[in-house]
Amino acid sequence: MLASLSRRAILAIYAVIIIIPLTVVAFGSFKSTQELFAGPFSLPHSLAPDNFAEVVGGQNLGSSFMNSVIVTGISVPLTLFLASLAGYAVSRLKGFMSWAIFGFLVLGMAIPAQANMVPLYVLFGRLGLLDNLAGLILANVVSTLPIAVFILGGFMRTLPKELYEASSIDGSGPWKTYSSIALPLSAPSIAAAAIFLFVIHWNELLYPLLFIQTPGNRTLPLALLSFQGEFQTNYPLLFAGVILASLPVVVAYVFLQRYFVAGITAGASKG
Amino acid sequence: MSIHPGTAAKRKAPDSAAPANPAKGRRRSPTRVNPALYLFPLPAVAVIAFFLVMPTLQAFQYAITDWNGFSAAFNYVGVDNFVRAFTKDSLFTNALTNNLKFVLLVVIAQTVFSLVLALLLTKNSRGSILLRALFFFPTILSSVSVAFIWKFIYDPNFGLANSVLRTVGVDGGAYLGNDAQALYWVAVTQVWFHSGQMMVVYIAGLQAIPKELYEAAEMDGANKWQQFKSITWPFVAPATSIVVAYTTVQSFKAFDLILGIAGNPPKSSLDILSTRIYSTFANSEFGYAAAQSIIFMAMIALVTWLQRRLLRLTPKGD
Amino acid sequence: MSQISRRQAMALLGALGLGASAAACAGPGGSTKPAGASGPAAPSAGAVTGKVSFAHWRGEDKAVFDELIKRFAAKHDGVEVAQDISTSNDYNAQALQKLRGGSIGDAFATFRGAQFKNFTEAGIYTELKDSQAVKNYQKGLLSAGQNGDSQLGLPYQVVFPMPMANLDLFDKAGAEIAPKNWDAFLAMCEKLASAGVIPISWPGGDVGNGGQLFNCMIANNAPVDDMCAQIEQGKLKCTDDWFIKMLNQYKDLKPFVQPNATGTAVEPAQNLFSQGKAAMLATGSYHLAAVRGLGAKFPIDLVFPNTTSDGKGKYEGAYNATFILGVNSASKNQAAAAAWIDFLSEPENAGYYANQTAQHVSVDKVEYTNPDLKRLSPWLQKKTALAARFQFNNLDVRNAVEASATAVISGTSPEQAAAAAQKIVDERL
Repeated sequence: MLASLSRRAILAIYAVIIIIPLTVVAFGSFKSTQELFAGPFSLPHSLAPDNFAEVVGGQNLGSSFMNSVIVTGISVPLTLFLASLAGYAVSRLKGFMSWAIFGFLVLGMAIPAQANMVPLYVLFGRLGLLDNLAGLILANVVSTLPIAVFILGGFMRTLPKELYEASSIDGSGPWKTYSSIALPLSAPSIAAAAIFLFVIHWNELLYPLLFIQTPGNRTLPLALLSFQGEFQTNYPLLFAGVILASLPVVVAYVFLQRYFVAGITAGASKG
Repeated sequence: MSIHPGTAAKRKAPDSAAPANPAKGRRRSPTRVNPALYLFPLPAVAVIAFFLVMPTLQAFQYAITDWNGFSAAFNYVGVDNFVRAFTKDSLFTNALTNNLKFVLLVVIAQTVFSLVLALLLTKNSRGSILLRALFFFPTILSSVSVAFIWKFIYDPNFGLANSVLRTVGVDGGAYLGNDAQALYWVAVTQVWFHSGQMMVVYIAGLQAIPKELYEAAEMDGANKWQQFKSITWPFVAPATSIVVAYTTVQSFKAFDLILGIAGNPPKSSLDILSTRIYSTFANSEFGYAAAQSIIFMAMIALVTWLQRRLLRLTPKGD
Repeated sequence: MSQISRRQAMALLGALGLGASAAACAGPGGSTKPAGASGPAAPSAGAVTGKVSFAHWRGEDKAVFDELIKRFAAKHDGVEVAQDISTSNDYNAQALQKLRGGSIGDAFATFRGAQFKNFTEAGIYTELKDSQAVKNYQKGLLSAGQNGDSQLGLPYQVVFPMPMANLDLFDKAGAEIAPKNWDAFLAMCEKLASAGVIPISWPGGDVGNGGQLFNCMIANNAPVDDMCAQIEQGKLKCTDDWFIKMLNQYKDLKPFVQPNATGTAVEPAQNLFSQGKAAMLATGSYHLAAVRGLGAKFPIDLVFPNTTSDGKGKYEGAYNATFILGVNSASKNQAAAAAWIDFLSEPENAGYYANQTAQHVSVDKVEYTNPDLKRLSPWLQKKTALAARFQFNNLDVRNAVEASATAVISGTSPEQAAAAAQKIVDERL
C-alpha cells in the first residue's frame, strides 16, 4: 500500500517538474516578453504565431534546420557503423589486441573538446573542412565514436561465443557473421546508442560555434543562440525556436522508442 | 563535396573483409581468429588517431609554451604552466573544486534517481510507456534551451520557482545569485536534464531480466528487497557502470549548460574546468589553456579510474 | 597469431610516427601575420563591388542594418553586404580567430578594451586616419579607436552606462533627479523607497550588465582616470582606501536594491523597471529600446550616482564608446568594406541607425528625432568619464574586481571582498 502510494507520488511529482516548465515554454512561445513576465503560467492571449514566423522567416531557421538534418542524418549512421565494426572486432578478438583496441578507442571519451579545440581547428583548416557540413559531420563522428564503441563493444562482448560457432561451421567470414548475427542481436544496443548519438549530434553546439562562419551553414543550436542580442534575451522567440528545433527529435524518439522496447524482448536469449 | 576518411573506409570494409576465406589452407578451429577481423576496427582507429589523438598530442606541445594564440613568436616554458595552475591560480583551483563537487553531486543523484525511475517504470503498461517518454523528454533538448528554461525558473523575481513558493509564503532566495548554493541548483538542472536518458539505459538492463526468476523467488517467499538484492542488482550492475561512467564525463564537461545559465564567463561560484579553460582561451593564453586542459583530461581519467576500481566490487551480470 | 600481432604493432607504431611528424608540423605559432610589415596600412583601393561580410554581435540591430545595406547597395552596383552576427560573448571570445583568415568580417566591429587591443596586436586593423569616414566624427569621441597616432577603428556607438530613471516615479516621490553628492543620492533613494517603489533595479546576476554601475561608482572615487589599468598592473590595489570607500558605498546601496538582486538576470531587472515597480534601472542608455519594448511609456532620463561627499567631483557622468568599426587587413575586398564604413559614418545614415536603434552615435551633426535620444543628448556635452571597466584587458581580473562589489551587496564585508579580489589580481600580475 505504502509502496504503491509513494511510487505514485514520486512519479507524479517528477512528472509535474517536467511538464510545468515545458508548458511554460510552449505557452511562452506565443507571448510577448512582457506577457511572459506578467504571468508565466497563464494561457497566452492569442495564438498568433508571430514568434514562430519571426524565427523561421526573420532568423532563417529553415536552412539551419536542413543543415542539421543533413549533418545528423549522416553522422549518426556513420558513427554507428564504424563503432559496430570496431565493437564486433573487439568482442571476437582475444587478449592484448582486443584490450588495446578497445582501450584506445574508448579513452577518447575522457578527452574533452576543449583539449584539442585549437589544434583541431588548424588541422581542419588545412584539410578544407572549416565552414562546411562535411567538417561538422567528421567532428561529430570523432567526438562520439568513443562512447559509441563503449556502448556497442560492451554489449557485443556479452554475446555468447556459441552463437558464432554455428556460423563458423558454416564457413562464413567475419563480415557475414557480423552482419547476419552480431548486428541483429545487437539491435537493442544499437537503438540505445542511436538515440544517444542522435540527440548529441542534433544538439551539438561547440563545433558549429568554432568552425562555422557563414550563417547559411549554421545548424539549429547555433542559429538559436544567435537570437540573443547583446545584453538581451528574447525569451518568447527563444522558446519558439526551441520548440521548432526539438520537434524532429521528439518525433524520432517516439518512433525509435517503440522499436527499442520491442527489440529488447525479441532476439536470442542470453544463456 | 570533400571525401573524408569515413566515407573511404566505409566503402573499403565490406569488400576487403568478405572474400577472406579462412578455410584456405588454415586449421579451422573456433579459437583461431580471422585476420580479416583486424580490418574491422581500422576506420575507427584511423579517425580517432588522426582527429582526436593527434590534436590532443599537439595540445601537449602548446602546453609547454606561452603562446597567445595569434602571434608568430612564443617561448617554451617547460612545466611552468602546470605549476602555475596548481599553485598560483586560485581561479583554477576553485574551478577544480567546483567541478569535482558538481560531478560527485550529479553522479550520485542522477544514478540513484534514474535507477529509481527505471524500477518504477519497468512494466510495459500504457501508463509506464507514457511516463517514460515524458521523463526522457528533457534530454533531447539542446543544453542552451535547458539553460534558458532553468535560468527563467530560478529567476528570483519572475521565475517559476519563487512564483510557486510565494503562494505558500516562502522566499526561495536568489538561487543562482546565492554563491553558496548556486552549484547545487545547477546540479539539480543537470539531473533534470539527463536522468531520463540514464533511466532508459537502466530499463534496457532491467527488461532483460527473465520474469521466471522473480516468480521463482516469489514462490520461495523472498520479499521485494531480497529480490532486488539477489536478482535485480546483479543484472543492473553493468548498466550502472555505464551510467556512472557516462554521467561522470558528461557532468565533468557540462560546458554548454553552465555558459547558458551563468553567462560567459561564469562567476567563480559556478566556474568549472571546461569554462575556465574557455576563459583562458578568451584571455589569449593558449599555451596556459592547453596546460589546463591536460590537467582536465588527467582529472577525468583519474576519477573514471577510481570509479572502475570501486565498482569492480559489484558482481557482474550472469 | 603472434605474427599478426607484431605486424599490427608495427603498423601502429608507424602510424604513431607519422602522427608525431604531422604533429610537429602543425603546432603553436606560425600563424601568418597579416600584411603590413611596419604597421597598419590604409585599406586597398578598388571598385566598390562584390561581397562584403560585416561581422558584429548586435542581433537586435539586424533589421536596421538590413535597411542601411539596401541603401548602400543602391548606390554601388553589384555590392552585397552580408551580416555575420554572433552573440556578444562568443564574439568576444572567437572573433579574432574567425577574422584572421579574412573569409568573414571584411568590415567588422569590436568591443572597446581587451578585444580592441588583441585585434590591434594581431594586425587585423587597417589605418583609417586618412579615410573619408573619420572626418565625420566628434573629435573627442575617437580615442577608443586609437593606437598611438593611428586611427584603427571608429567607435560608432556612444552609450551611457548610468542608471536610467523613471521620471514619473521621481516626480511622484519628490526625489531629486541630479543629486549633488553621495548623501543626496542616498536621500533620493530613501524618498523613492518611502513612495513604495524599489529605488534601484540591479541585474546582479548578469556580469556584463551588473558591472555597468561600477563605471559610475569608481569614476570619482579613483585617484586617476586609468585606475583599472593600474589595478591590473599592480600599481593600485583593491585594498586601497579609495576602493574600500567605494565598496562601502555599495554597502549603502544594499537596502535600496530589489530583494535577491544578486540572482536577478537582466530581462527581469528590465521588467521591474518597465512595469514601474522600480524607479531606476542600473544598466545604461543602451537598454532604452529594450525597456520601451517591454511597455515602458514614462519619460526616461539618466541619474549619475554622485559618489563625492562635497559635490566637487571631476565627472558628472560616465559614457562608453563602443562598436568600433574597422576594415580587416586580411580581407579580399577592402575597398568595398571601407566604402561601407564610410557610408555608415555619414551623418544621415548614422542618424538613421541612431534613431532606429535608440542609441547615440559619435558621428557629428546627427539629428536625433527619437524623443528619448533627444532628452538624453545633453549628456553628450557633459563632462563624462570614459567607462573604466573596459580598461581591463584580462577578463578574469575584471570579473574578480567587479565581483567584490557583488559580494558586498550579498553581505560580505568590504574589506573581505577587496582582499579576495586583490588575491586574484596578484596571481595575474
